[in-house]
Amino acid sequence: MAVTEVPASSVLAVDETAPAPARKWLRSLAIGLPAGLLVLIFGACFVLPLVAPIPKPTGGDVLSSSLPPFSPGHLLGTDPNGNDIFSRILYGGRSSLIVAISVNLLGLALGGSLGALSAHFGGAVDTIIMRVLDVFIAFPSLVLTLAVAQSLGPSQRNTIFALAFFSIPAFARISRAATLRLREQPFMVAAKLSGTSTWRILVRHIAPNIGPQLMTFAMLGMGIIMIIEGALSFLGLGIPPPAPSWGNMIAQGQLSLSATPLLVVWPSLALFLTVIGFNQLGEALRARWSGR
Amino acid sequence: MLGSPSLRLVGKRLLMAVPIVLGVSILTFWVLNLIPGNAAQQLLGPEASPDQIQQLEEEMGLNRPQVVRYLDWLGGAVHGDLGTSLVSRQPVTDELGPRLAVSGEVVGLAFLISLGLAIPVSLLAARWPNRMLDRISMVVSTTGLSVANYVFALLLVLLFAVQLAWFPAIGYTPLSESVTGNLRSLALPAIAIAFPLFCFYTRFLRSDLVDQMQGEDYIMTARAKGIGPWQVLLRHAFRNSAFGLITIVGLNLSTLIGATVIIEQIFALPGIGQMLLQAINTRDFIVVQACVIVFAIITVLANLLADLLYAVLDPRIRYGSN
Repeated sequence: MAVTEVPASSVLAVDETAPAPARKWLRSLAIGLPAGLLVLIFGACFVLPLVAPIPKPTGGDVLSSSLPPFSPGHLLGTDPNGNDIFSRILYGGRSSLIVAISVNLLGLALGGSLGALSAHFGGAVDTIIMRVLDVFIAFPSLVLTLAVAQSLGPSQRNTIFALAFFSIPAFARISRAATLRLREQPFMVAAKLSGTSTWRILVRHIAPNIGPQLMTFAMLGMGIIMIIEGALSFLGLGIPPPAPSWGNMIAQGQLSLSATPLLVVWPSLALFLTVIGFNQLGEALRARWSGR
Repeated sequence: MLGSPSLRLVGKRLLMAVPIVLGVSILTFWVLNLIPGNAAQQLLGPEASPDQIQQLEEEMGLNRPQVVRYLDWLGGAVHGDLGTSLVSRQPVTDELGPRLAVSGEVVGLAFLISLGLAIPVSLLAARWPNRMLDRISMVVSTTGLSVANYVFALLLVLLFAVQLAWFPAIGYTPLSESVTGNLRSLALPAIAIAFPLFCFYTRFLRSDLVDQMQGEDYIMTARAKGIGPWQVLLRHAFRNSAFGLITIVGLNLSTLIGATVIIEQIFALPGIGQMLLQAINTRDFIVVQACVIVFAIITVLANLLADLLYAVLDPRIRYGSN
């Protein structure tokens, strides 16, 4: 069946300018669904604690420790320290998201401009920048992140710095490749010939063209950073307890895995939903950009 | 078998790897020297007087300028001496061997499992695209890529160690003690590392195969000659996709090494990842430095090996178009 189907479509050149309505609808769903999920998660983490009576994530009462889910006042119950689990999920998500967003913004801004500059100038500048970045890319990133996190001491700000160390080279590579592809475009040549300043070329011509590609990568990067941040906190080198983060909640739950597996399940589920949201959105955006 | 152009290529790559490894070592040295509480303080404890700290620093040569210490370390490292652990006072190189063996075994098993499953699954999926098996494999691998490996590892422990008690939850049985015991103790860690890899490889290989089967001229030629669908898939499409797969496997290795740190911690395996984490927590920067360098060398070598395999498999590179 596949044998007859394939040559037919490639030979007859099916009219692709007018996609079937069902296809179009499916495509917008592929972007809308993960985007909606992420809006829900962001809303729950950043807005819900402000408007709903959510208990504090720390300083719980030992008398109300290890309550089961659906206890009065505690939707998901409490952990062994008497802290409300639902509240810890929300506040933990808030700090994980802040870390992931900051790291990706740093990567996007610094890595993106580094790569664009490197490609734009070429020659020795390009060689030096790319060789230095090669060193970072050769590095097992989690390993050095651990060392950096330990040497700076565990805290949210230091976690951001440690992770940014490795997101910058990745962004730089992508932005360099994208800029190189632009260099021979007629409008770039025209801009250069008409004596446009380097700064203006970078801001007005390069940035808008490589932006979508970098944003798509940032979406995928969000998922990766959320997982690595979780790993750092899981190993005790990220966000220090008692402040909640999904990683340190999973680590804490691991201690009583057989007795109370739900302590691991809730933060894991939250992490999974967020990461799959970012990954699917990134994939859908990539398909959309490359499809045109 | 290897012609001289490919040997030259390997030589060139090897030369290019040297500055990268050097760069990594400088970077590590620099980062580790940022540690606020220094090693002497750490070893002597919080009650040590400044005099005692100074004395120990002189004893260990920590008061010399960074550049001198780095060159000194590099001189030893070139001869295979990576220094003496600050905590155990044993040569680091002695401890690395057995630990590398444990990590190597886990990673090797994980590669076997992931590639051993990903290749047949993607071939079957690409043979009948958009059928049941293809759909299932796509859903599994897309979902699997969003699961953190530590979460997956804990799920495995919960299901197979706690509930079913098929495998031990933690610990390591050496190969010399019992072969089945060894495999049983490594099964869950290897699966935990293999699953995300399987997802990654399957996604890549399946879409690459399908793209080729639907769009490439040589596939159509092969079909027109009357070659059977399996033959076309294996002989023509898969042979091409293998190149991409090799690159991805090589590039993936540094992620994989990161995974061993967490997985060895969860399953209490005495591998190099656990050694690194312990050294980080005791601020034994000599050991941290050694582990990081070993990781970096493995990563660089893996990429080199991928290039070499390329040269062996692809006649265009073997016979040199440079």
